[in-house]
Amino acid sequence: MQHFEEETFVKKEFDKRTWKRIISFMRPLRLYVAVVILCGVLLAVADIAYPLINRYGIDVIIASGDLSALPFFIGVYVVFMIVMGILVYTFIYFAEKVQNHLAHIIRKKAFEKLQELPFSYYDRTPAGWIVARMTSDTRQLSDILSWGLIDITWGGLMMVGLATMMLILNWQLALIALSVMPLLVYLSMFFRKRILRAYRDIRKQNSKITGAFNEGILGAKTTKTLVLEEKNYADFDYLTSRMKKHSVRAALFAGLYFPTILFLASIATALVLYFGGLDVRDEVIQVGLLYVFLSYISQFFEPVMQLANVLAHFQQAQASAERVVSLIDQEVEIDDTAGVKEHYGTILEPKRANFASITGRITFENVSFRYTKGEEVLKEFSLDIAAGETVALVGSTGAGKSTIVNLVCRFYEPSSGRILVDGGDYRERSLSWLHSHLGYVLQTPELFSGTIRENIRYGKLDATEEEIVRAAKMVGAHDFIATFQKGYDTEVQEGGSRLSVGQKQLVSFARALIRDPAILILDEATSSVDTTTEKRLQKAIETIMAGRTAIVIAPRLSTVTAADKILVLEHGEVIEAGTHEELLERRGNYFKLYTNQFADLSA
Amino acid sequence: MKRFRQFTKWMKGETHLYLTGMAILFAMQYFRTLTPLFIQHVVDTTLDGKRSALPAFITRFLQAETVQRELLLVGLVFIGFAAFRLVFVFLQRAIFALFTERTAYKMRNRIYDHLQNLSFSYHSQAETGDLLQRSTTDVETYRRFIGEQLVDVLRLFFLVIFAIVQMSFMNPRMTFVSLAITPVVLGAAIVYFVYVKRIFRRVEEAESRMTSAVQENVTSNRVVKAFANEPFEMEKFAETSLSFREESMRLTRLMAFFWSSTDILIFGQYALTASFGVYSVVTGTLATGEFIAFLSLLGMIVWPLRQLGRIVGDFGKTQVALERIDEIMEEEDEHTRDKGEKPAISGNIRFENVGFQFADDTKPLLKEISFAAAPGETLAVIGRTGSGKSTLMNLLVRLLETTEGRILFDGKDIKSIKKKHLRKHVGVILQEPFLYSKTVRENIAIMNRDADSEHIREAARTARLHEDIENFEAGYDTIVGERGVTLSGGQKQRLAIARMLLEKKPVLVFDDSLSAVDAETDIQIRKALMKHWKDTTVFIITHRIQTAMEADRIIVLENGRIAASGTHESLIREAGLYAELYRQQTETLKQAGKIIEEGGEDHAAF
Repeated sequence: MQHFEEETFVKKEFDKRTWKRIISFMRPLRLYVAVVILCGVLLAVADIAYPLINRYGIDVIIASGDLSALPFFIGVYVVFMIVMGILVYTFIYFAEKVQNHLAHIIRKKAFEKLQELPFSYYDRTPAGWIVARMTSDTRQLSDILSWGLIDITWGGLMMVGLATMMLILNWQLALIALSVMPLLVYLSMFFRKRILRAYRDIRKQNSKITGAFNEGILGAKTTKTLVLEEKNYADFDYLTSRMKKHSVRAALFAGLYFPTILFLASIATALVLYFGGLDVRDEVIQVGLLYVFLSYISQFFEPVMQLANVLAHFQQAQASAERVVSLIDQEVEIDDTAGVKEHYGTILEPKRANFASITGRITFENVSFRYTKGEEVLKEFSLDIAAGETVALVGSTGAGKSTIVNLVCRFYEPSSGRILVDGGDYRERSLSWLHSHLGYVLQTPELFSGTIRENIRYGKLDATEEEIVRAAKMVGAHDFIATFQKGYDTEVQEGGSRLSVGQKQLVSFARALIRDPAILILDEATSSVDTTTEKRLQKAIETIMAGRTAIVIAPRLSTVTAADKILVLEHGEVIEAGTHEELLERRGNYFKLYTNQFADLSA
Repeated sequence: MKRFRQFTKWMKGETHLYLTGMAILFAMQYFRTLTPLFIQHVVDTTLDGKRSALPAFITRFLQAETVQRELLLVGLVFIGFAAFRLVFVFLQRAIFALFTERTAYKMRNRIYDHLQNLSFSYHSQAETGDLLQRSTTDVETYRRFIGEQLVDVLRLFFLVIFAIVQMSFMNPRMTFVSLAITPVVLGAAIVYFVYVKRIFRRVEEAESRMTSAVQENVTSNRVVKAFANEPFEMEKFAETSLSFREESMRLTRLMAFFWSSTDILIFGQYALTASFGVYSVVTGTLATGEFIAFLSLLGMIVWPLRQLGRIVGDFGKTQVALERIDEIMEEEDEHTRDKGEKPAISGNIRFENVGFQFADDTKPLLKEISFAAAPGETLAVIGRTGSGKSTLMNLLVRLLETTEGRILFDGKDIKSIKKKHLRKHVGVILQEPFLYSKTVRENIAIMNRDADSEHIREAARTARLHEDIENFEAGYDTIVGERGVTLSGGQKQRLAIARMLLEKKPVLVFDDSLSAVDAETDIQIRKALMKHWKDTTVFIITHRIQTAMEADRIIVLENGRIAASGTHESLIREAGLYAELYRQQTETLKQAGKIIEEGGEDHAAF
């Protein structure tokens, strides 16, 4: 479901800058594009030439009654057949090539940007929105720039070519035939725009219906217990009847469009029949020419409809283009300076050889921080964590625990003040440098699709088999992995052998441990796991924390008692600090928190 | 026959529209094949004095003394004829649109209604994504089929018949020649579109692999960044994107081959018709105008035939879609056959040896549960995860049905009470309540849409939610749920309580409904609630001792049985789970106290 309305970006007029940017992506494809345009030209030429072949049959062979030219007539047809075959193959192939290659280029560029964008971007952008940019928008865009391109060249050339050809063949008759064309072009644009708008309404309505179905399914239990069936049905009926109304309206527009165009064509045909008929009677022209004119009139409509279609779609594609460009050109708020990049490399091409090792001392120097909108979460915050020390952060939601972790990880940077790692401002080294010394265990174990082995290896991409097994053993995951039929090759998200939350958590511990990080961040799980798993996790945590700087966020106080230092936070400030014993003795906030814990049966 | 019924049953009530549309469609295709005959008439009859292929009812109007007058008549009749077609083609499209959209509308409503009324057990087993797919994409597939593809097939079918009729009327031998290669085009198209489906699937799979790569990268971006694995992710993604591109290109080569080779076939047919036509005209068996009409009629059928292949290829898809929808519709809903009564419910509840077991399970979830509760009484049910306490709640509102014993409401067996009636009197506050994509205000007033603002605020205040709401940018008008702001678990629970505060129910069930609220707030809310619900029978289902201890009576559930029951005071004196847990808790407190004593602080121990 999307928070962001699809139409947010639509501007009315032609946006030159956006298109320039998109066209620049096509540079490597210019040869293919040239072939596509050439094919469009040649196809138009072939389509215009075709009735002339039959005219030859009528005005030359039939008129003279001499069958000796028939083999030549057949020969021309065969050549035409082969040329058309080749042309059609080539244009489909190259148009699709442009489309698929362009889509690939855009997707890669967007994904590259996604890797560089800071955490704050993801915080405010729904995943669905990003995915839509990479799929439907990219498709829409590459479609209009390949097939749209061929439609425009072919269609434009057809209209101009047909008109020119008619004028050359017989200008008087041509003017008569072309008299309805301006109206035709106007009506086409008129209808196309409305039809497209109507379809947009339908799509919007449709996504609302999908949302309602989704709610009906997800909220079934609530609906049942609150007996909301009738009310929900009434809401739903409102949506579907609107959908019905919109759809019928769109169909009426579309249903009027085609016959209207046909009617205009009929007027032109009647005019040509009358005046052309007279000319044939007066032997000013031959029957074959009359045939050519009638053919041309019927041929005139397809390009008009096509062009109207492309131009109408163009506006939609522009909206896609704007959204895609907005993603690709998104400013990276947290980025390394040019100097840092030169020495340490970029995110996608880090120079790991230049990465210095870390002992793990972390210092906050008068750090203040606020998220884009909102109050200051940290104010003049100072903290020194010695290398190898374990610090636990305790406090209610919104006290600033997560913010401190986000700052340490440089997911966000301080609004003012400095954060030092091993005594130096961490902005003087690269993001990759910091992150490659980080071990991170999340509240909910986010594993990737793939096998257990692949997931552990994610912490150290060049890890050997022994290293993987050793890491798994150290956190106590090896035992349960060994019980699986496929062992380390078990898919973590596979239906039948789905891993339990606790097991996933252990795998994520192994993933963090295998990289032997100097700094460990532990956003501890709240999810209820059974007692044995709980104990196992506890042991694993102790193993991986040993000898490292560790920052632990723990909602359950029983797990932080062993920390070297416990910080009790409130409104971004440390209100108490000390060991578990010291803090209990003080009988302050920590004591209150600790004694207020419920005996919880689920633990 | 069964297939046919499966296909037509959704159209019930709209078939008259369909038949009308079809009749007009049929007539219009006949008129369409007349168009080239006007040209034939001009070229052959008017200018050359030969016979006209137009039917007599039209040629009647084309009699004139001079060629010029006749040409003028042809032109005028032709325009009139076109105007007539304009009106009826529009009419036909409008009728089909009405038919299609009405059918789709009814279909969507019926599916939605059915989904809502399917039993709780069905919903707890079904996969959301799959159900959603069936009720949206599959409906769309059917809608498109009856609205577009079926009409296209019919149109083409009628057109081909009339074109052949017109052709044969002019010249049977020419007709035969003109249809020599045409069936091959149709055959090639069907073979191609059936075959290409497999390739399509591969492209779709490649695309979905790529999409999930993006999805995963975006949702787990924290992990990606923290592990500095951006280059690895880039490589992984580029691979999936490239494989999507290459699969698409495989399809392209096939597509290009199909369209170009059928183009060759079609132009081959043209070459054949044209050459034989020229030959026939020269040898005198065909008129020039007829020749031109043949080329035109051929064009009317041969190009669309290629598209027909696609429709035939797609027909299987529609069938599968309908089957998938029927699978849902065939599930029995829980209300249609619910013949229960609507007795008054005061809140006297009695469980008599109640047991519950899922049909496909080996062990019962609940066994021999007996107890009674009266209005004004608060009963706590405490137990570990999996002890059966939530099942107990589900039985109380007939989300599940007792498989043993019976539950009595004021002496009446629960199974004789209409489910909706029962649920209207038993208020359940779920642990994970669902919020609809509406405003906070609407969500609170979900059961009583006419509730006024002041009552809504009051309820939110009592549930300790008011301040949270005030902190939202749009306050009470903030949209929440799937398409809006995501509330925390605790906020959701408090909203569910606010919902219930607007209602007066004889029975209330708190199904672990304050589990995500912190300790102090929990106590505050419960105190406020007890005042509000004085004469109500209240069930509190929980795993927290602190939540249970103030109840009038506590039932301890262990492995689906009542292990003990009594007041807090009596239970802590008995040996058992409750006492043990209670001791654990006091132990923790004592320990804390000891540390304090050792530290020499001068505080009283507790």
